[in-house]
Amino acid sequence: MSSASRSRRPAPTTAPPAAEPRSSPAPAAAPETRPREKRPFLLDFFPLDTPDQTRLSAFYDRLRTGHLSTTRCPKDRSLHWPPRTACPDCHTEELDWVDLPELGKIYAFSAVLGGAPLGMESEVPFAVGLVDLDGAPLRLFGRIEGRPWNELRIGQAVRVETYDIGDGRYFYRFRVRD
Amino acid sequence: MSVRSVALVGGVTTKFGVRPATWSELAQEVGAALFRAVPDLRAEEVDSLFVGAAEPERFAFQSHVAPLAAEQMGLRPTHIIQRTELACASGQSAIRSAYAAIASGLSEVAVAVGVEKMNLPSMAEASTAMGCVMDRPWDGPHGATAPPFFAMVAQRHQLEHGTTDEQMAAVSEKNHRFANANPTAQFYEKKFSREKLLHLPLVAPPLRLGDCSSMTDGAAAVVLVAEERARQFTDTPAWIRGTGQYSNFHNLAHAGSLTDWVGLRHAAREAFGRAGIGPNDLDFAEVHDCFTISEIIEYEMFGWCPPGQGGRFAADGQGDIGGKLVVNPRGGLLGCGHPLGATGVAQAVEVLQQFQARVPPARAVPDPEWALVHNLSGSANVHSVMIYQRGGAG
Ligand SMILES: [Zn+2]
Repeated sequence: MSSASRSRRPAPTTAPPAAEPRSSPAPAAAPETRPREKRPFLLDFFPLDTPDQTRLSAFYDRLRTGHLSTTRCPKDRSLHWPPRTACPDCHTEELDWVDLPELGKIYAFSAVLGGAPLGMESEVPFAVGLVDLDGAPLRLFGRIEGRPWNELRIGQAVRVETYDIGDGRYFYRFRVRD
Repeated sequence: MSVRSVALVGGVTTKFGVRPATWSELAQEVGAALFRAVPDLRAEEVDSLFVGAAEPERFAFQSHVAPLAAEQMGLRPTHIIQRTELACASGQSAIRSAYAAIASGLSEVAVAVGVEKMNLPSMAEASTAMGCVMDRPWDGPHGATAPPFFAMVAQRHQLEHGTTDEQMAAVSEKNHRFANANPTAQFYEKKFSREKLLHLPLVAPPLRLGDCSSMTDGAAAVVLVAEERARQFTDTPAWIRGTGQYSNFHNLAHAGSLTDWVGLRHAAREAFGRAGIGPNDLDFAEVHDCFTISEIIEYEMFGWCPPGQGGRFAADGQGDIGGKLVVNPRGGLLGCGHPLGATGVAQAVEVLQQFQARVPPARAVPDPEWALVHNLSGSANVHSVMIYQRGGAG
């Protein structure tokens, strides 16, 4: 895990803090990106990611460069998820950005076979799971791509990938490693 | 600080199900039913109203529902009027708030009502509403709703403790069978054998349709009064003897063990401590079986069986009439449906009706004195517990 730059607020508005180069950058998921209709905010699960709406726009800027990151408290070294603007332990508002490991293992999984929310109906069936990141004390929830749900197993290795959700915004998910 | 005792003296539940009625119409219906069920209640006596409603903004496009409910029910509260929102525990929150208000002397006669309208023309819109219960901008975009989360809980419980689909079906069969003796239940007229349950379609593996509570419209209301007033309404009230609550996390990353519900153990300890009883003193319990696996874990967390043995407890009929204690004689969320804000209130109505021996024999608990009500909310991240004692019993 690499420590990135330190900012007074974890929300630089222009260039995101530089991350260390990676030997195997998370692949862009171009084939699965579909053009996306602009949805009214109150019917859209995906967050507004711009600096006029969130102090965490750096997180989304880093997703665009293929990096899943979060904040870490420089005082007590606690690693947060999701990224924060104030440490929940010591309440400092001066936090570091760090990149998260891109590999992990499935702790639990299931699939949505029906009754999906708006905008996700055409993706059914889809798999979701909790993933233990390798080398970081974090278990993240997310979509798991790359295999049908009934071919997944607990302990299976996955990789973090970032993707364009179809309207210019980016998000993250997991993909089963080959 | 000494507090006054608080009694639940009357209550009523509307028909639960897919109701051709709006949110306001359900509130009117439960108000009318409440005044019929509690003929000694005068509207001008009700100084406070607590309205349990989880997501009227989403399901009914309506905010500020407390005064709306008051108007629908024909009430003009003079002391406290407010909505309580705690997702699936919104109804119990209304009762706990009424309890606190009366115990502290701010209220003399309070009504706690729960109302939820969930069935919409679009299932996707309803699922979108349910998705907002999670940490929406982080867990929501992945498609997090209750079924896949509790499916992971079931998967881990099966892995860690050998719990089986058959044991989960035993919970569902029991609760649906009790619901067949509860005319207000959504599935009053539907029979579910274990065999049938095991062949229903998968919703979120390993959970099948019969492992999941439904999207339900309905309302329920109870009357709570200070101890001096209880006898004005009934000789057999349900006294609130203890309550506890614990909020452990919200984002799914912080769920920790999916099968050890720390928050439930904390809330239960608090409630039992206040009531001065233990888990083995209960005659029955209304617990939050939003999914079959939830009830199985609740058996363990409340201490009715050792950790990991909840599946066996279910299969052995220990939560059935004649078992260790009767769990969900009302029919549970599985059999009655789960109109979020109304559920916790309907469970309290069941406690009172059981104490007053006003339920059909098929689901009657023999001579009950102590009862517990439990709700979890969201991803089992919050737990709320109340303990009741039958009036005149102890
Ligand atoms: Zn800190």
